[in-house]
Amino acid sequence: MQKHEVLIVGGGLAGAMAARSAHLAGADVAIVSKLSPLRSHTVAAAGGINAALAEGDSWEGHAFDTIKGSDYLADQDGVEVLCRAAPEVVVMMDHLGTPFSRDEAGHLFHRPFGGHGMPRAYFAGDRTGLSLLQTAWEQLVKEGITLYDEWAVTRLIVEQGRFSGLVAYKVSDGTIEEFQARACVVCTGPAGQMYHKTTNAVTCTGDGIAMAYRAGCGIKDMEFVQFHPTSLHGPNVLITEAARGEGGIMRNAKGERFMERYSPKTLDMAPRDIVSRAIETEAREGRAYPGGYVDLDLTHLGEAKIRERLPEVYQFSTEFAGVDPSKAPIPIEPAQHYMMGGIGTDNDAATSVPGIYAAGECACVSLHGGNRLGGNALLECIVFGLRAGRTASAFAKGKAPIAGGAEAVAAEEKRVDGLLKSEGRETVEDLRQELKRVMWEKVGIFRHEADLELAVGAVRDLQRRVANVRVGSTGKRFNYALLEAMELRNLLDLAEVIAIGALMRRESRGAHARTDYPTRDDAITQWQPKERTY
Amino acid sequence: MARIQVYRYDPDGEGEAHYDAWDLDVKPGQTVLDLLHVIHYYHDPTLSFRRSCQAALCGSCGMTLNGRSGLSCNTQAAPLIARDGYLLVDPMKNLPVLKDLVVDMEPFWNAVYAIDPYLRPGAEPHGPYVVPKKQMDPLKIAQDCIMCGSCLSECTSREANPEYLGPAALAKAYRFVADARDGAEQERLERYSEPNGIWDCDTCLYCNEVCPMHVKPMDAIMRMREKSIELGIPSQGATHALAFYETIVKGGKLNEFQTVNNSLGIGGMVSQSSIAAKVLLRGKRPSIRKKPIEGFEDVQKIMRAVERKKRREARR
Repeated sequence: MQKHEVLIVGGGLAGAMAARSAHLAGADVAIVSKLSPLRSHTVAAAGGINAALAEGDSWEGHAFDTIKGSDYLADQDGVEVLCRAAPEVVVMMDHLGTPFSRDEAGHLFHRPFGGHGMPRAYFAGDRTGLSLLQTAWEQLVKEGITLYDEWAVTRLIVEQGRFSGLVAYKVSDGTIEEFQARACVVCTGPAGQMYHKTTNAVTCTGDGIAMAYRAGCGIKDMEFVQFHPTSLHGPNVLITEAARGEGGIMRNAKGERFMERYSPKTLDMAPRDIVSRAIETEAREGRAYPGGYVDLDLTHLGEAKIRERLPEVYQFSTEFAGVDPSKAPIPIEPAQHYMMGGIGTDNDAATSVPGIYAAGECACVSLHGGNRLGGNALLECIVFGLRAGRTASAFAKGKAPIAGGAEAVAAEEKRVDGLLKSEGRETVEDLRQELKRVMWEKVGIFRHEADLELAVGAVRDLQRRVANVRVGSTGKRFNYALLEAMELRNLLDLAEVIAIGALMRRESRGAHARTDYPTRDDAITQWQPKERTY
Repeated sequence: MARIQVYRYDPDGEGEAHYDAWDLDVKPGQTVLDLLHVIHYYHDPTLSFRRSCQAALCGSCGMTLNGRSGLSCNTQAAPLIARDGYLLVDPMKNLPVLKDLVVDMEPFWNAVYAIDPYLRPGAEPHGPYVVPKKQMDPLKIAQDCIMCGSCLSECTSREANPEYLGPAALAKAYRFVADARDGAEQERLERYSEPNGIWDCDTCLYCNEVCPMHVKPMDAIMRMREKSIELGIPSQGATHALAFYETIVKGGKLNEFQTVNNSLGIGGMVSQSSIAAKVLLRGKRPSIRKKPIEGFEDVQKIMRAVERKKRREARR
């Protein structure tokens, strides 16, 4: 058994920041993570981090845009916390070493992002997430924070009404062990792997949200799933919004600048949900290329500017699509990208279970409501990661440890043993592919009651079938087949919540578009300001 | 149909390390990682390999593909098979294999930890640092490193000396040396000039070649060498480089006696004498004549041009 005061589950940007602030507050803190921290999905965030730092900008302006972008579902107090903290967070990361892009005179560059009234996205080329995560990781090394990497947490333990520890599975040798602590911060990212088309890493399986849900934490806004309009057709690698921020133009198969139809004022810079629906509509009405993709044209920017400002876009299109973006348009299509919902927290990152905190994409403050604006996710990871670390360490102080994890360890050992020995007929991959298809087709960009009812039924059917799954690998070392079976259970639990949430929300708001209820219904939101699922 | 051969090893298993082969339908656009997923999901779930983002950003899936280190997620399979006539997937080199394609990254991380991989700030301004773009640009050859280990896997110096810090750690080191916001340049370069650091690179260039992010670790190492000579940081490597330089400036070609004498001193002459004897026995007699080589004026012109260029760059 390992003992610490505060455990951080997940080592991405939010987790690293939570660990840092808990450590600086004097707590004995450790990170337990399925991946080595630098492998976390933060690396994929490309475009920027928002802050009202520029002259003429204000936190109120940033907050207004965020709340408007959320389709008025965001928690406005939470947004205030986020936007007020933003300028000092960008300065802090610059001081810690993030190589932000600068102008000739040496000042930080910023660029426009969709849905923002001002250009306020600060960036490091188009590898902002990677750069920020590197900086956060460097600080973990500097502070000597304990790291248990490639330990997959499988269960949060709640005893006497509060968090008492967790159970984790060591990927390298199959050990199952209890970690005792007084508080934990869940920072495990999203669950995009339940969708057929997704920009999320294959490891984004909602483990933390599902574990918190099973431990009794409320989870909320799960039906709000963001579809990014510009993923590379085929591999769904993310082409950052910055490509449009720098002047990229989308055209359909007929060569029309189709955004003129959907958002004549903001055109290509309209919020993500509007652009994704526009592309999907073009595809449904036969104006996209076969396979449902459209063109993103950067050729007029010229090779030098593309390589300087959008090196990643250049690399991705050449390596993954064989397209040189300075010579030909990039084939793009919408793909699942971000989850606005997650483990419900207050502005101090506290969940409904004492001792369990959450931050980053797996958490829902809610800062993004129905739709997140580009550049706010990295910001959230830092602002609320830091807050979570502080409040978790304050909570842990003076609390006595609670013993009693042995039962939970035994239960997990039994579950793993059962999976390893199962002679069932189903394979993890078949079930996962079916889940992805159901979620993409029935709980995707456009939703409808009949589809959603089918989806709930289909997911529940998969939940039954998963009991009969065969892992096919009994090894102790790096048994990824076993890990995938455990991840599938997490995906299924959350898919059910998302499908039910989408079915119950009889309105269209932000990224949640119901063809049978095409308008926003503020009356619903009034009596359901914070829909929670227990 | 194409045959894909994959290295297999399980310390708990009964057999020795071996290759397993699968004949797969390889579609255009499929990466090597896609094929490994097909094997893992549909043919053999016991096959272990790390992967995550599938977009060449997380650095998880470093492997050796037809003998060359790189990421499996951004390497297209069909062109590789068309070029070589086969597809052979091995774990990364220079790191212990734990299972199948999974290597122990501990030695890799330890080297990175050893260079103090975090900013050691000088004077902090109130707001953001003001650092002109031109001063930030040098970081570009190092800042995008995703720590996949491909360069270390391919590093010939590391192969000869497991204590050598290796290209990734030294590229990370350069990222701070070059950063105007860092206040510990001198101290860093002194540490990196110790044995197993910047002077242990044998300049084979493989790291630059294989880096999937187009980071240039060897360039970073060379820039640190130049900088440490500029700052007069003593090290055997610097002394050796200067000794080399001096004989060339004087005579236009390498004078082994003088170089060894200047670089290692009398003790060095003695310690190297057995090698010298062997060299002589093999008929490779170094020139003892002090007379400059033919065309020496041209050598001098080149040297002067290089120095002018350096001065110009320093003024900028």
